[in-house]
Amino acid sequence: MATRHGAGYEFPGLPLKRVDAGTNLLLTGPALEGARELLLGLLLGEDGVLIITADTSARKILSAFEGVGGRIDRDRVRVVSCTQERDDELGDFVASVGSPGDLTGIGIEYSGQYEQVYARGYDTVRTGIYTLTPLLVYSEDVRPVFRFVNTVTSRIRTADGLGICAINPSAHDEQVINSIAQPFDARIDVREVKGTVELRVTGLPGQPTEWTAVPALS
Amino acid sequence: MSDELPAVVCVDADEGIRTATVQALEAAGFEVRPSGSVADTETALDDSVGCVVTAATLPDGGGFDVVELVRDRYPDCACVLFTDEQPADLPRGGREQVIEYVPRTVSDAHDRLVDVVTAAASGTTQAAYPVPENEAERLAALAAYDLEELSALDTFERLTSLITSHFDIDVAFVGLVDSHEERFVACEGANWRTISREDSICTHTILTGDVMVVEDIQNDPRFAAVDQLKEPDIRSYAGARITDGEGNALGAVCCIHGEPRSYTQAEVDDLRRFADEVEEQLALRQRLKEGSE
Repeated sequence: MATRHGAGYEFPGLPLKRVDAGTNLLLTGPALEGARELLLGLLLGEDGVLIITADTSARKILSAFEGVGGRIDRDRVRVVSCTQERDDELGDFVASVGSPGDLTGIGIEYSGQYEQVYARGYDTVRTGIYTLTPLLVYSEDVRPVFRFVNTVTSRIRTADGLGICAINPSAHDEQVINSIAQPFDARIDVREVKGTVELRVTGLPGQPTEWTAVPALS
Repeated sequence: MSDELPAVVCVDADEGIRTATVQALEAAGFEVRPSGSVADTETALDDSVGCVVTAATLPDGGGFDVVELVRDRYPDCACVLFTDEQPADLPRGGREQVIEYVPRTVSDAHDRLVDVVTAAASGTTQAAYPVPENEAERLAALAAYDLEELSALDTFERLTSLITSHFDIDVAFVGLVDSHEERFVACEGANWRTISREDSICTHTILTGDVMVVEDIQNDPRFAAVDQLKEPDIRSYAGARITDGEGNALGAVCCIHGEPRSYTQAEVDDLRRFADEVEEQLALRQRLKEGSE
């Protein structure tokens, strides 16, 4: 299990060193090549956990979270689901927005769930967004998505949280990816080669810059 | 207002609730302007306001009407919804009104509000465009220039005139990207003065390594939905970044044409040389300014 020590977040079992509190990471890679599992693995620990899921139902994302070793404690783990699937019956630890295009709703529900977790004593929160791709696809205008990303990453930065935001690079123009990447401290690329998930990091000193196997996910 | 904290507008029709919120924000050091309605908020807004805290329900509208007003007047200003209504019960505005939300129902709600407002107002945290990593240093570098004086210079007017004829394009300009808008200090072929950063292509150019070409603006997902770029004479763009001696991106020297257009490497190199000329002129102005002080 990952744990947070002092002024940073650690990721035992993953080939990544501790990152500072307030760090935002952009995770790029195809959905079927380990991106979802790696994102969920980065959320493991005893901190508060907020997951915004946009192309996988809340039920599936929670199941996948358990699959990588996560424990679903409803005081600590919260989900904002913006898929078309109905997740209402799961309880109030899952908030449903209904469409990845409803950025107003996603933002408010995220803030609301954040405050619920904070009020229960979790002042360090790991946020995972899986993925930004539907938000971009459903928005006719990319500017509100920039505003959404800036708003969420700012909250994470100033609240000493940890943010991991996934995006499928093959679904967007390179220029859009580069602009979206701006508020993030670093980029983690992930891929799968012959059944082995690999990652590399750009933008953070001391992290693996060459493709490195992730045995925990292979 | 202190040197560091921007003003905050606090909007709530309930005087008791509003007063308590104002006091909490004032205790944190903010200059707070109380407002009881959407109409009063319009009066309270100016460019010194960094954040608007609003209730969900108001006598002449709702919190999202306030947000719409703020986004229309000062698009970078942060907005925070502070209400006892739960997210699912909130009257929604449009699908693209991204704001912060603090429920008044949580314990220590005023403390949480102060935390969120302090963070939200600490910079352009709700900007609808990518913000350079070194934005504070970049803006400080830009502040060293007298933009009014630069706008009056014939040098840049001559240069943009030369650029339009050299590339056979409709418009050329020298734009400097300020905190909330781009200011055109020289413009040949159009009468443009400013454009908000979220609508400006140069907002993206200052993030690039050097020259950015957009062959067809209507086919670029970053710009295709921007109404201000749907004018008939705006279809293609090429911009070369202007930096100071420290590498701070100040703006760009740009070509605009009414038809989709590509640029050869030789043309890109020429545009770079025009931008070098602007950089030298800016450096010269600074040396003259320092010499006279």
